[in-house]
Amino acid sequence: MIIDLNAFTGHWPSHPVTGDLNSVRASLHEYGVDRICVSPLEAAWCRNPHRFNEALYRTAGTFPDVYPVPVLDPTVATWKKELERATRELRVKLVRLLPAYSPYALEAADELLEALVAENLAVIIQTRLEDPRRQHQLAQVPDIPAAEIANTAERHPALTVIIGGARTGEIRGLKDRLLASPNLYADVSQCDGLDAIKVLVEEGLTEKLLFGSHAPLFIPYSALSRVVTDLADEDAAAILGDNAERIITW
Amino acid sequence: MTLTELREKLRPPCPALDIHVHPLGPKRVDSVDEDARQILAAADRAGVEKMCIFLLHPASGEGQLPEPTMDQCREANDYNLQMRERSPDRFIPFCYVNPMYPQESVAEIDRCVEGEQMCGIKLWIARRATDPGLDPILQRSVELGIPVLQHAWDKTTGNLSGEPFPQDVAHLAKRHPEAKIIMAHLNGCGLRGVEHVIDCPNITVDTGGGDPEAGMVDTAVNALGGKRVVFASDLPVRLLGQCLGKTLGANIPEQFVRDILWNNAARLLPEWAGVKPI
Amino acid sequence: MKPAELKEKLKPAWPALDVHVHPLDCFGLTKVSSAREDANLLIESARRSGVEKMCLFSLHTTCPREPTVAECIEANDYTLTMRDLEPDVFLPFCYVNPMYPDESAAEIDRCVQGAKMVGIKLWVARRATDPGLDPILEKAVEYNVPVLQHAWIKTTGNLVGESFPADVADLAQRHPKAKIIMAHMNGCGLRGIEDVAHCPNLYLDTSGGDPDSGITETAVAALGPNRVVYGSDAPIRHFGVQLGKTLGTTLPDNVKRDILWNNTARLLPEWAGVDTI
Repeated sequence: MIIDLNAFTGHWPSHPVTGDLNSVRASLHEYGVDRICVSPLEAAWCRNPHRFNEALYRTAGTFPDVYPVPVLDPTVATWKKELERATRELRVKLVRLLPAYSPYALEAADELLEALVAENLAVIIQTRLEDPRRQHQLAQVPDIPAAEIANTAERHPALTVIIGGARTGEIRGLKDRLLASPNLYADVSQCDGLDAIKVLVEEGLTEKLLFGSHAPLFIPYSALSRVVTDLADEDAAAILGDNAERIITW
Repeated sequence: MTLTELREKLRPPCPALDIHVHPLGPKRVDSVDEDARQILAAADRAGVEKMCIFLLHPASGEGQLPEPTMDQCREANDYNLQMRERSPDRFIPFCYVNPMYPQESVAEIDRCVEGEQMCGIKLWIARRATDPGLDPILQRSVELGIPVLQHAWDKTTGNLSGEPFPQDVAHLAKRHPEAKIIMAHLNGCGLRGVEHVIDCPNITVDTGGGDPEAGMVDTAVNALGGKRVVFASDLPVRLLGQCLGKTLGANIPEQFVRDILWNNAARLLPEWAGVKPI
Repeated sequence: MKPAELKEKLKPAWPALDVHVHPLDCFGLTKVSSAREDANLLIESARRSGVEKMCLFSLHTTCPREPTVAECIEANDYTLTMRDLEPDVFLPFCYVNPMYPDESAAEIDRCVQGAKMVGIKLWVARRATDPGLDPILEKAVEYNVPVLQHAWIKTTGNLVGESFPADVADLAQRHPKAKIIMAHMNGCGLRGIEDVAHCPNLYLDTSGGDPDSGITETAVAALGPNRVVYGSDAPIRHFGVQLGKTLGTTLPDNVKRDILWNNTARLLPEWAGVDTI
C-alpha cells in the first residue's frame, strides 16, 4: 500500500500547476499510489482558509481513495465550528496547519491541537510550500523551523504530529527528538540530496518517515524515486505506506 | 445595449438608504449649500434616496485628526446639522464623538440627539472599541434607542493605533448586548472579520469602503443572515454606484437586496428618523 | 505496487548522462577519506537511478566563492584523479575563476588541451557580464568545449557575483560561437527561460532546485527539444529526484532520451568518447 500523506489540489498563484483533483490522482496512480491525502492549495493565500475546505469535501467525496485534509487556522474566530464540520466527514483523518501563511506562532494553536486529540485526528504542520529563493518577490513567506513543530509535538504528547515538507538536513538534525517523541513524524516530500532518505534510514529513522509527494507542485516521479531508488524493499515499504497505516486511524 | 439602457439596468430595484456618507466639508467646497448640492446630485444619479451623514471634522482625512477635541466634534456636528437643514428628507445626521472624553461625549450626544434629533452615533479611530471610554457612549445609545456606527478594519499594512479590529467590535457588542452596533467596512474587515462577529446578533455590517470584491456580500449574508448587512458607500471616499454594485451584483436572494438597501437600516434607525420599511 | 516493481518502473529506458555533478569532497553530507571512496559512493548512487556517465567538477573542497588560482588548480587536480579512477564514468570539467582571466586561460590549456578535460565550469566569482569571462570563452571556442555557467534568480537576493539568466544571455551573445550551458533550470525559473530563449548557443541544464512540475515542458516549448540537458547537481540533489524533471513529464520519449543523453553528447568534444544513442 502506498499512502501519500502530503498532496494538494487547486491553483498556485506563482506557478502554473495542473491541480484539479482528477489530474492529481491520475499522476499519482501512475506510480501505484493507493491513498492520497489532499489539502486545498488556495487556502494558503485566503484570509479565511476554511473557505476552501467545503469544496474539497465535495470533490474528494466522489473518490474513495482521496482523503481530504482540511486546513484549520486557530486565528479564525470560528475554527471550532470548522473542526466540528471536519469531524462530520468520514474520510478526514488528519488536518493541516499552515502557520507561515496565516501567520501565527504555533503556541496559538494549542487549544485547537488539544481539540484534535479529542477527535482522534492527526495533524500535519507544513514548514514550507515553496523554496524561499523561488517565491514571488512580493509574496515572500519564511519557513517554519522544523524544530518548532517538534516543540509542538512535545507540548501535545497525545497528538500525532507530522512535520510537513522538511529538508533532509532538518530531519537529520531532529533525529534524537524524533526518536524520543513517539508522536512525532516527518514526511519526506521535500527531502533532496545524494542518498537523502538512505542517510535518514541509516540514522535509524525508518519508522518515523512518511511518504508525501507535494503534488501537484512537485513531480510525482521524483517523489517515488526519492524513496525507492536507494532503499531496501522493506525500508521503502515502511516509508511508502506501512508507517502511515500504523500511525493514522484509517 | 445603449447607454440609457445600461443606466436603467444599473439602477437599484428599490430606493436605497446609504448608512455611511461623509459631507465633502469646507476643505473641498465653499459652502454647505454646495456640499449638499453635489452629494444630492450624485445620490440622484445612483438611485440613493436617503443618507446617514457625519463629518469627522473639517480638518480630518485619511488618518488625519484621529483624536479630535470635543470642540472639534461639536464643530463637525454643527456642520452635519446644517447639511440636514439643506435637505431634511434626505440627510439623516449622526453625532460624532470621541471616547477619549466619555462624559463630554455623552453631553454632546444629548445635545445632538435629544436636542436636535440626530439619529445615531459615529465612532472612528480615537480609541479601539475595547476601550472603556466607549461604555458610557454605548449606554447612552441604548437609552436613546439609536445605532452606533463603529469604524473597523483589518489592515495587512497595520491598523492605526486607535483603529478597531473586527474582534474589538465583537468585544464591544458583547459588553453592550442591547446596543445596536453597525460595524463599518465589510470589505476592509474581510473574510476573517465576518467570522469574528457571527455570534454577535447586535452587530450589523455596513458595505461601505474597500474595493468591490466579488463574493463579500454573499459571504456576509451566508454567515450573518440577510438582516445583518446594510448598504453603505463611505462617499466621497468611494463611489455610490460602485458600492451599490457590491449588493446588486451579489448572488443573493432578491428579498435580501431590498433589506440590505433599505429595510435593515430602517429597522436600526429611531422612529424620529421617519424611515419606514418598504 | 511493491517497491521492487516501482524501482523497475522508475528506471529510465535509456542511460542518463548527468551534465552537472560535484565530488562528495566538495558538497557531500558526509566527508570522504579519498577520491576512491568519493568515486565509489557517487557511482553507486548514480547507477541506482540509471545515471551512467557524469560531467564532474570540483569547486574546491572548501568551496570559496572567489577561489584563488591555486585553489582552482587543486580542485581540478582532484577532479582529474577521480576521472583517472573511473575514466568510463567521469567526464571532467575545468573549474576557473574569471577574476584571473590569463591564469584561467593557462589552466584551461593545462586541463583541456593537456589532460583532456571536456568542458569548463564557471560559478559565482563574477557575473557572466564581466569581461573577465571573455578570454575563457575564447578558449572554449578554440577547443570546442562547452562552458557550464551557474545562474539563478533568487527572490532572497543573488550573491554579488552570482549570474542572472539575463547575464548568461549577454555572455552567449558576446560569444555566439561558444556552447554555453546555463545551469539550474528551476532556479532560473519561468522568467529565466524567457531570458535565454533567443540565444541558440545557450542550453539549459535541469540541475538543482526542487522538482517543480511543468518547468521542463516549458523549457522545451521555449527553447526546443535539443537545448535542454539533464543535470542533477549531485550530491546537493538526488539523482532520481532530478531525473524526475525529465522522466516525470509529458514530453515524448525521443525528447526525454535526448535530454538524458544526446543533447549533452552533442555538446561534448570528440575525445569525450560519448556517442549519441
